[in-house]
Amino acid sequence: MTETADPRVIEIDQFYPHPPRRVWQALTTPELIARWLMEPSGFKPVVGTRFSFRGQPMPSADFSGEIACEVIDVVDGEQLTISWADAHSDKPAAWIVSWTLHPEGAGTRVILRHSGFDPDDAVQQRSRTIMGNGWARIADQLGEVLGS
Amino acid sequence: MPPRAKASQTDIVFAALANPTRRDILDMLLGGERTVLALAERFEMARPSVSEHLKVLRDCGLVVEHKRGRFRHYRVNPEPLQEISAWLSPHERYWRERLTALGEVLDDINEQGDTPP
Repeated sequence: MTETADPRVIEIDQFYPHPPRRVWQALTTPELIARWLMEPSGFKPVVGTRFSFRGQPMPSADFSGEIACEVIDVVDGEQLTISWADAHSDKPAAWIVSWTLHPEGAGTRVILRHSGFDPDDAVQQRSRTIMGNGWARIADQLGEVLGS
Repeated sequence: MPPRAKASQTDIVFAALANPTRRDILDMLLGGERTVLALAERFEMARPSVSEHLKVLRDCGLVVEHKRGRFRHYRVNPEPLQEISAWLSPHERYWRERLTALGEVLDDINEQGDTPP
């Protein structure tokens, strides 16, 4: 598990035994994106493209099911960066999601970075805060959650 | 959400942690392993009460015991807490699941070999 010290960022890295070219294809082809993420509407790997995703609502993450995005940056075959905001949230989070591809042997290491978590938002931050302070506080906070 | 038929492992861990004394015991064990006696002295509790709490913590896997010499020693086992961590961090779990799905798509398109070099 990759954990960054910065509480505003989730960073996960994952190795795939496939060349970067193929990973890039899966990251940027709408029909393939639909198979591992959600079905995009209007996506092109071109900076400035506005598009959306429709997926399963996820109440635990305060997610309505529709996401408004814009392609922020494209480095062909290496990095895709998009903005990511809940289209129906009353306080849209200014999230940025990026995928960075690093060739590794015959495969590819993908670094996913989801940034822009608000350090003052309790829901967004609870796990980080708690994890950073050790198990005793995890327990305390769980006690509060259960007691409320 | 429909009610669940059966308590999951996470439910059981949460229930164990819902008790403040058990959280204090866990907190103390985080500092290193202890015997029941040491715990009882620290919390000014009768040994059977401490043993009862330890049994709950042990049953859900948060604490493991091992016998050394005449005494049973207890220490924290962090594994059940990982599930809680996943529950606490829905975004991280979300992206892990999506990245796993990406791997499956990659395996698929590789088998089909339908992509130009």
